[in-house]
Amino acid sequence: MKNEKYAIETFSLTKVFSDLWGRDKVYAVDNLELKIRYNEVFGLLGPNGSGKTTTLKVLLGLLHPTKGKALLLGGDSTDPKINSRIGFLPEESYLYTYLTARETLDFYGRLFSLPSQIRKARVEALLDMVGLKAVANRPVGTFSKGMARRIGLAQALINDPELLILDEPTTGLDPIGTRQIKDLILQLAKRGKTILLSSHLLADVEDVCDRITVLYGGKIQAEGKVKELLQQADKTQIISGRLSDDVLQKIRDLITSENAACEMSSPMEKLETFFIRTVVEAQKSNLPTSGAFSTTQIGDFLTAESRQQKILEKLVTATEVPEKTEETAKTKKTESVQAFDAKKSEILEQLTDDSKTSKTEPVSKTESVKDIPQTKQEINRDLLDELTGSGRESDKKENQPDKKEGGSGHE
Amino acid sequence: MSRIRAVAINTVKQALRIKIVLVFMLILFVLIPVMALGLTGDGTIKGRLQSFVTYSLSLTSLILSLMTIILTTYSLSEDVYKKYAYMVLTKPIRRFELLLGKLAGVIFLDVVVLFFCAGLIYAATLYIPHYYEASGEQLDSLNNQFFTARSSLRPPVPDVTAEVVEEYRKLQASNQLPEGMSTQSIMRELTNRKLYEKHAVEPGRDIVWEFSNVRIPDPNQQIFIRFKYDVAVNPPDNVIYSIWDIGDLRQIDFAAVSATPIYRTQRQDIIRTSREFSINADAVADDGYLGVAFLNVPLNPTVVIFSPEDGLEVLYKSSTYTANFVRGVLLILFRLIFLACLGILASSFLSFPVAILLCITILCLAVSRGFIMESFNYLSQEVHLIYSLTIRLLIQFIPQFDQLNAAHYLVSAQLISWSAIAQIAALVVVLKAGILLALALVIFSFREIARVTG
Repeated sequence: MKNEKYAIETFSLTKVFSDLWGRDKVYAVDNLELKIRYNEVFGLLGPNGSGKTTTLKVLLGLLHPTKGKALLLGGDSTDPKINSRIGFLPEESYLYTYLTARETLDFYGRLFSLPSQIRKARVEALLDMVGLKAVANRPVGTFSKGMARRIGLAQALINDPELLILDEPTTGLDPIGTRQIKDLILQLAKRGKTILLSSHLLADVEDVCDRITVLYGGKIQAEGKVKELLQQADKTQIISGRLSDDVLQKIRDLITSENAACEMSSPMEKLETFFIRTVVEAQKSNLPTSGAFSTTQIGDFLTAESRQQKILEKLVTATEVPEKTEETAKTKKTESVQAFDAKKSEILEQLTDDSKTSKTEPVSKTESVKDIPQTKQEINRDLLDELTGSGRESDKKENQPDKKEGGSGHE
Repeated sequence: MSRIRAVAINTVKQALRIKIVLVFMLILFVLIPVMALGLTGDGTIKGRLQSFVTYSLSLTSLILSLMTIILTTYSLSEDVYKKYAYMVLTKPIRRFELLLGKLAGVIFLDVVVLFFCAGLIYAATLYIPHYYEASGEQLDSLNNQFFTARSSLRPPVPDVTAEVVEEYRKLQASNQLPEGMSTQSIMRELTNRKLYEKHAVEPGRDIVWEFSNVRIPDPNQQIFIRFKYDVAVNPPDNVIYSIWDIGDLRQIDFAAVSATPIYRTQRQDIIRTSREFSINADAVADDGYLGVAFLNVPLNPTVVIFSPEDGLEVLYKSSTYTANFVRGVLLILFRLIFLACLGILASSFLSFPVAILLCITILCLAVSRGFIMESFNYLSQEVHLIYSLTIRLLIQFIPQFDQLNAAHYLVSAQLISWSAIAQIAALVVVLKAGILLALALVIFSFREIARVTG
């Protein structure tokens, strides 16, 4: 798919800020070796002054490295060809205050030399997506910080970027906006985009990132997959529907007999979910607001797949069917919970039956591969049809459920 | 190109919405009509128009110069200071495209505002004569000396080098050279003195200027003798009495037979003021010869001096007022383009307050460059050397705005030729503004945009 292995790669990247006399003052970034793969959501964490933003600025050519080199999408970030494939949201939305929201997006669209029709369509889609369509003709200078942040995000997406660099993207956003950005990141990641996320909000990073690195003093202190870094292998968590006191007692006894500590409680709803539900109900009753009116819709051009991409993704799917199924962690988790719910009595029996050892069954795996074509020959025929443009109507109909499933994760 | 256009449009929107342009336009659109109605000059209709054109064009030029400096320095330095550039420069736009876009936006605004202001001034000059009553003589004077464009012939400056060198040697031999003055300054002083001596006319004596290859487009038109008297001692009534002979003066000296007439006129004119009189163009001989003789009548109690710079000119119509006005406006535009490039250069590495200070300082230097260069001629020998190697080179790079004053040419109906326009464009716009812009592009290309300074 791509010749280069990494979307972002740095080689001993160092940035030292000197004083007026050229004497070294601060090592903001120190011999940073960052390797971010394609299609990865990567989190850059660290306390204030750890070098996160400086790293991003050096990557984007806003600062010159004192030593070392950085490659973005296999090239120099100051090369317009590379820039045209990157979206960037800085730590604050530095927007021309005298432009309206629509003009702002149009201006950045023009910098990407987008054709007029596409530019206009994208501007409207993005305004809708970030919930600012109603105030699209208001100068950005009159916006609240959160609204400006939304426009900032929209401008970063105007070119449908391959690589999205987000510096504190959820700062100043309300929970709906935060949720929307997280959903968007997941959606974009699903489409094969690479995302570099720098944030202080660890919960946000945890929700969306595949891998993270923790910076301190400009150096990498820890790096790895989120699951691996955070998983507590010596503990087990089971989530079930409501159980009677008897069953709870049986489980407690069983666990105690294994000499393991046990804590049981009813889980609490997340405040984020509660908040979003409340606001959505208020929106349904058409209460007036001068702020953002989020539709939680993601721009069509960001979710729609190009014909070429579809073909390439099918090629990947044809050879990596099992891995693809495992990668959709969110879907798998939902399905697993549903499966667990449906078969809870069966599992309870297993738990209470000493003769059976507990094990996780890949129940969803066989279900999820049902819709995927079984043989390479069939896929190749479909691809050939698409490439030659002679796809049959019946084939198209068969593909539609796939598409629907891909988008249903957010509904 | 589309990216440069996008930045240019954005710059225009910025200038309009932060109301800089509107304020300057308001000032001009209020003051120009006020001046059209209020300025009277010397009381004649020509004087009224001359003073109106002088002040309105100068004001337009000054206001637009300030607007250009403010817009260019503000637009670019604010992009960096307020970090708008973080968003812009991470898009597929080259840094030079950003600078060119800013420049194009400001120049576009300059052209639009200049067009409207110049249109207003032009319309007012055409309208004013209809509004005020004037005698036929005044209207003739207006048509011949204002609503036209005249080429100018100046007498050749005599070569006095040998005489100056001789004088210098004499002073040196007698040890009478002024102390502290550089050799160059002394030579310049002696040259000026000799030139004034050559153009000084004692009472009862005359002076003759001879022009060759004079080609008047229409022999039926009139030619104009423009002169200014300087005097050694002021006459009691500040008036000089004179007799002028104009024509083929070879007939007098060599008794040559010629059909070309010689016109004689007796005049009394005030000193230190430019004056004019006209004669028929048939005074020019077929071979292009024209002689002009001035007799300082014995009645005058003083020596009359004609300055080598503006002591005497022969003028003849060679274009229209409208065409000359358009070329005059182009001169203003060239100034603005230079200042726009200067503003871009200054803000490519300086913050807004420092950049605007630098630009206004250079504007002041450019407006008074002639005076400043002249004042440096009187430096002591030691300082002169340092100055020659440093400041002088920098000041020489700045265009001499006082010589590019459109009002000066239009008021005296002097032709601004297309060849002069081309030369000025090449020097001021292509060469000097081009160098400033190239420097700005280099500096801005290597600048760390996100680096915190100060």
